[in-house]
Amino acid sequence: MGTRAVLAGGLAAAAVLAMPALAAQKLGEVQPPRAPEQVYAKVCGYCHGRNVGPVILGRHLPAEAIRYVARHGQNGMPAFRPSEISDAELAALADWISRADARTGEHGQ
Amino acid sequence: MTTIDRRGLLGTGLAATAAMGLGTGASAKNPAPLAPGRSKADFAGAMKAFRSVVGAEWVFGDEEAVAPWTKTYIPDPSGHYKPVGAVCPENVEQVQEIVRIANTFKQPLWTVSTGKNMGYGMTAPATPGQVVLDLKRMNRILEVDADLGTCLLEPGVTYQQLKDYLEDNNIPLWIDVPTVGPIASPVGNTLDRGVGYTPYGEHFMFQCGMEVCLPDGRLMRTGMGSIKGSTAWQAFKWGYGPYVDGLFTQSNYGIVTKMGLWLMPRPPVYKPFMVRHPEMGDTPKIIEAMRPLRVSSLVANCNLMMSASYQLAMFKRRNEIVPDGAPLDEASLKKAAKANGLGMWNTYFALYGTEQTVAAIEPIIRAQLTASGGEVMTAAEMEGNPWFHHHQTLMQGGLNLDEIGLLRWRGSGGGLAWFAPVAAARGAEAERQTALAREILEKHGFDYTAAYAIGWRDLHHIIALLFDKSDPAQHAAADACYRELVTRFGAQGWASYRTGVNSMDLVAQQYGEVNRDFNRTLKHAIDPNGILAPGKSGIV
Repeated sequence: MGTRAVLAGGLAAAAVLAMPALAAQKLGEVQPPRAPEQVYAKVCGYCHGRNVGPVILGRHLPAEAIRYVARHGQNGMPAFRPSEISDAELAALADWISRADARTGEHGQ
Repeated sequence: MTTIDRRGLLGTGLAATAAMGLGTGASAKNPAPLAPGRSKADFAGAMKAFRSVVGAEWVFGDEEAVAPWTKTYIPDPSGHYKPVGAVCPENVEQVQEIVRIANTFKQPLWTVSTGKNMGYGMTAPATPGQVVLDLKRMNRILEVDADLGTCLLEPGVTYQQLKDYLEDNNIPLWIDVPTVGPIASPVGNTLDRGVGYTPYGEHFMFQCGMEVCLPDGRLMRTGMGSIKGSTAWQAFKWGYGPYVDGLFTQSNYGIVTKMGLWLMPRPPVYKPFMVRHPEMGDTPKIIEAMRPLRVSSLVANCNLMMSASYQLAMFKRRNEIVPDGAPLDEASLKKAAKANGLGMWNTYFALYGTEQTVAAIEPIIRAQLTASGGEVMTAAEMEGNPWFHHHQTLMQGGLNLDEIGLLRWRGSGGGLAWFAPVAAARGAEAERQTALAREILEKHGFDYTAAYAIGWRDLHHIIALLFDKSDPAQHAAADACYRELVTRFGAQGWASYRTGVNSMDLVAQQYGEVNRDFNRTLKHAIDPNGILAPGKSGIV
């Protein structure tokens, strides 16, 4: 147990503090509310910016339109229901996408 | 051209799209019809009672609110497959209450788990007037036994949630995914008898124990689940007396609220392979070479034998290969396949085991497949190839949504219907199936974008009927084409193992009147009010 361990522990704690609502799902409990980054990583980001769907980060798309398209689907994109992405999660997600910077490594088709 | 159009629409037209309600088919003048014999008062009464159970925020009745449950990819030129509402319970007790209310008001319920089966109908019901019973909020992982390799799940759990749980808790068990794993449900996929690509790919074979809400609202547990104190609910499939779990798959006899599944221990070595064959006519050689490897379990996972066109459709657009309106000729396909590191058939399998077992089996398999005219490739040669990467991910229960790319193959309208006839794993049969499918598809102006899933002894011919749903002529042609596929394949003895809501009755007819009558007799006995998913698998 030296400086390295203490430093590593401190860094891990800082990382946890910096990421809001990153609670993991617990046995016997429903999935807790997810932060926009999590929803993007676990749903949107499988297609958008990764061979399948157009890039949506860094384009400052209007949040209202993002919410609409998520709920209705568009062309090949499925619709996502409030039971899958809650209204609160979607509001935060749409806001986050519309403000987000472009990510290097993402590409459209 | 299409690429630019889509990008333009996204960049400048999103707000306009939202304002105009494009793509929903929504129209205040054409509300979805109620169930036969039901009045507006019956429907309103049921919806009011549902609200008292789950809260007003989880009952959806007006047209705009129901829109997220109406998005489909299947051909539906007459707009027949639309629900009238949705209700989203958060626990089993609420499901029981909803079922009792549905009996009182004779309001049919169409149950979905996560509603992401893509070309089979998503959350759309098979007959008009149904309220979607959406179980996505019930997404508890109830048990995971790391020693036995078992889990007990609610229907709303996605493959992503299960994988995250296993990884977060360092449990060395794999999941087995269908192609849209992140957003699909292990319970829902197993109930539709879907398949995946590890040795646990025949999903229903690895199911163990269910809890079912019966049409009268009572809860029944199958297998060992009804024995007080039993520790074997997820360990022993058969229980005592008639084995009934199968009755709750592809059916409307109950609502599965919990399901046990077996999970494969992560093997010390996983080695994925791809075998490239150069000609479309190589179909029988591949299947004849692969069958003994599958029957003996030397190759233990469900193989995907992918046509070049299916592979290209995932990440390319049709007009990158041939001009719009031109047929997808074999020479152009071959050229595009070669340029992308693909053969005309690309067969993916993997070896699972220890260094010693994999090293012992690999030469036997290589010899057999090389003799069939295939080039046997591994990660060493295919590094960076997106198609190899896709299958390398799937065959270890990894997650991606690459197959959603199929929806952009042809225009941007998002049309897809899966046609999945079954045959025994014999090369000559596959050759005849491919010829028949190409003839029918080409007659209606569509492409043969297809794969064979080589099971233990069977072939699932997975044909993706891809069309532009925003083009009315293509939409109508796709509807006619799908019916012709079902009818003419059926006449040859090749019926579907699973089908979309647009063709459930048609396929049920092919399985014969005695079978239909047996299903109907059961239905009437246990669900006399007909409230659970009328029309599912053609059972009304």
